[in-house]
Amino acid sequence: MDTATISLHETTNHSHDHDHSHDHHELSFVQKYIFSTDHKVIARQFLFVALFFLLVGGFMAMLIRWQLAYPGEAIPLIGKFLPDTLVAGGAIQPNFYAQLLSMHGTIMIFLVIIPLAVGAFGNQCIPLMIGTDDMALPKLNMYSFWLVPPAGMLVCAGFFVEGGSAAAGWTSYPTLAALADKGQTLWLVGMFLVGFSSIMGAVNYITTILNKRAKGMTMFRMPLTVWALFITAILITLGTPVLAAAISMQFMDQFLHTSFFVPSHLVHAKGALYSGGGQPILWQHLFWFYSHPAVYIMILPTMGIVSDVLSTFSRKPIFGYKAMIFAIMGIAFLGFIVWGHHMFQSGMNPLLGTTFMLSTIVIAVPSAIKIFNWLGTIWRGNIKFATANLNALAFIATFVIGGLSGIFMASAPVDIYIHDTYFIVAHIHYVLFGGSLFGIFAGIYYWFPKMFGKMLNESWGRKHFYWSFAFFNLTFYPMHILGVGGHMRRVYDPYVYDFLKHFQPMNQFITISAFILGASQLILIFNILWSLKYGRNAPRNPWRANTLDWAAPAKPGHGNFDKDITVYRGPYEYSHPDRKLDYWPQWEAPEVVGDENKSQVSSLSHGGH
Amino acid sequence: MLEWLYKDMLTFFPEGVSTYSKQLDDMFAVIYWFSVVIFFLTYGLLIAFIIKYRFNPNRKGYHFHGSNALEFTWTLLPSIVFILIGLWSEDMWTRTKSEWRVPHPDVSVEVMAYQFGWNIRYPGPDGVFGKKDRSQMTPSNPFGIDKNDPAGFDDLITMNQIHLPINKNVVVNLSTMDVIHSFFLPNFRVKQDALPGQWIKIWFNGFKSGKYELACAELCGSGHYSMRGEVFMQSEVEYDKWLDEKYSAIKANLLANPPALPTPTVEEPAKESHH
Repeated sequence: MDTATISLHETTNHSHDHDHSHDHHELSFVQKYIFSTDHKVIARQFLFVALFFLLVGGFMAMLIRWQLAYPGEAIPLIGKFLPDTLVAGGAIQPNFYAQLLSMHGTIMIFLVIIPLAVGAFGNQCIPLMIGTDDMALPKLNMYSFWLVPPAGMLVCAGFFVEGGSAAAGWTSYPTLAALADKGQTLWLVGMFLVGFSSIMGAVNYITTILNKRAKGMTMFRMPLTVWALFITAILITLGTPVLAAAISMQFMDQFLHTSFFVPSHLVHAKGALYSGGGQPILWQHLFWFYSHPAVYIMILPTMGIVSDVLSTFSRKPIFGYKAMIFAIMGIAFLGFIVWGHHMFQSGMNPLLGTTFMLSTIVIAVPSAIKIFNWLGTIWRGNIKFATANLNALAFIATFVIGGLSGIFMASAPVDIYIHDTYFIVAHIHYVLFGGSLFGIFAGIYYWFPKMFGKMLNESWGRKHFYWSFAFFNLTFYPMHILGVGGHMRRVYDPYVYDFLKHFQPMNQFITISAFILGASQLILIFNILWSLKYGRNAPRNPWRANTLDWAAPAKPGHGNFDKDITVYRGPYEYSHPDRKLDYWPQWEAPEVVGDENKSQVSSLSHGGH
Repeated sequence: MLEWLYKDMLTFFPEGVSTYSKQLDDMFAVIYWFSVVIFFLTYGLLIAFIIKYRFNPNRKGYHFHGSNALEFTWTLLPSIVFILIGLWSEDMWTRTKSEWRVPHPDVSVEVMAYQFGWNIRYPGPDGVFGKKDRSQMTPSNPFGIDKNDPAGFDDLITMNQIHLPINKNVVVNLSTMDVIHSFFLPNFRVKQDALPGQWIKIWFNGFKSGKYELACAELCGSGHYSMRGEVFMQSEVEYDKWLDEKYSAIKANLLANPPALPTPTVEEPAKESHH
């Protein structure tokens, strides 16, 4: 191969893939695609199931938005097909509204963001990026996935039982939740299964990362995606068992009428069933002890993804690699001592509020460090605007806003007024949609070639990005203002209140934006389906990236790599001054000094022989 | 519809009418302006870098792994700013919420939330709340007033409407009969969850007379949205007049009938229909 014809930045397919040359033996269809133990198949299963639930949860958001913009008016098109227990004359009823908002939150958090960020990308990236053939515990990995679909079905089955689905919010506070109907019981069982799925996955991730790294892959040569997933897995193993315990207690409260969370002498139809003596606020402590770290479980993996994508497309080493790792560790540690900031107005001792306020304010520091380091990464880079990178840049842009709005509620006295208002709704969506989901989009566009052996269509990708980014901001930014106006969350009809009547036009504006935002996601689904069938075949290393996943064939088979992997350097050696090429893969043997030509040849002929 | 595009976010606050509402809004404003500065700084850099360092096939990125001095600076600076915000918040927080800093009450009322409304209890002509006993709570005796305590016979209970005097320290003792509710007075910048089985004291001091709204801020069931109450802030004279009317009715009733427990009364048609 003549090196002179390969220009510095041209993307060429210089790998001659033999995708099937290393298949060990033929597996049946069921073993290969359904009950598979291959981490890449499991990653794809997580991806498709979570994208399905993204559409379900998004559809519920559209119904919620319709009600807030046009309360009491029939839902267009579908209103007349819904049963009378949920709608009256096609218009959403208060009980249905409470079910919708509870299920929207539950689905988006437990069945979309966590399965995508942790399940899909954890499975896809960890073995490939540390240079191994599969997870340490492949069967456990399979079970981890196969708990999710039944959990999702159980939670959604609530809509078909007497009394409807869970309607106590995704936070499920007793005594409201403890006294609720069968839908809530289904919710608890479903959440228990999802929690178990998380724990199984996390144990596997930790074991794999600690034991199965390729030769030369020291901890501080791991890409930040792997680091972030590693720390996330530790968060899951420490936090999720607490949620499981709390859920078991609430399940017993519901089913066996114990009184963990039910105090004495309730004036309620079900009050006589309980002996009382419980504490409703205990649930909040246990729930948030898991669910605040869960916020980081949802954002840390995408921070890792964004770091890798930004570095690759800026053709520059990540700024402050170790500082980024320590910031992730700092966020993870502090994440366990800030849960009380969800409870400033809950009636817990205000002294505790002071403690949690100070720890919460401190956690803003590592988040700020990450933002500055990302800016440092693109500084003096050579930035390519592939769709993956556009989404990664959008992550930074929205995370800045989501981080800043967090300072308001971290300050306990300021939180008095904005607590439980749309300011909080705006904040969580800036962090979880603007942050996590845009990070996930970046990951999908970045790793799709390695997951499916096809390139995603960049033109549709850009359309999806621009529409999503514009209408994301038009949907969620005005919610800060609703919050400042005092607009409560979770209200079926805000215009009962005189002080909120003037917000109806703004709510209508948000609703129209939300509809366009929702419709924009169909572009992504279309792009995935279209590209799977008609997409360009992916080269082995389409983005000219350094990490080990790109050493594997374009669509790696069972066992991943077609050659032995040794790691010689860190993951971010882009634009090294001594090299002609602007990247230096981790797996490439060090060149003999002074013999540039030879090293070029060896790097270019790297693909699969 | 689009006024949020050009109007300052701070102008959307509902009018503040309690003594600490201004201080709380000022804290919000300080964090807001701090955020605006950081926002323009980071977005300025982000946009400048995106434009200046966009792809050019003849250039290579700068091979640079970071600087400890910079990392140290941008760890230390935010730490200082955030700790200052924390210390400043601390005093305001205890002032508004800590029981040991609740001022001496000029007026005390009890509020008992339920699905879906608010009971408000005044001590009655004798100025003393009758003893409470949760085991005696029923929908018609929402506060569980002890049937054997004469101090409870003259207590006044209203539903969804609170009358209060201006320029007085009001202490509200808050609880709920069934599920968690949250007592939210937007104009007073007051919000406190009500917990079943527990009493929580909050306080405020309103300086402007008028009718204000009371809302529930914690999801409490399908009727959550409908827990609208009203707060009438009145001059001391008007408030005393209202109280006198109510109390003389209670006294007349006590004379005419043997002592019995007060039951909640709806004072006037409370809600206008909407839409």
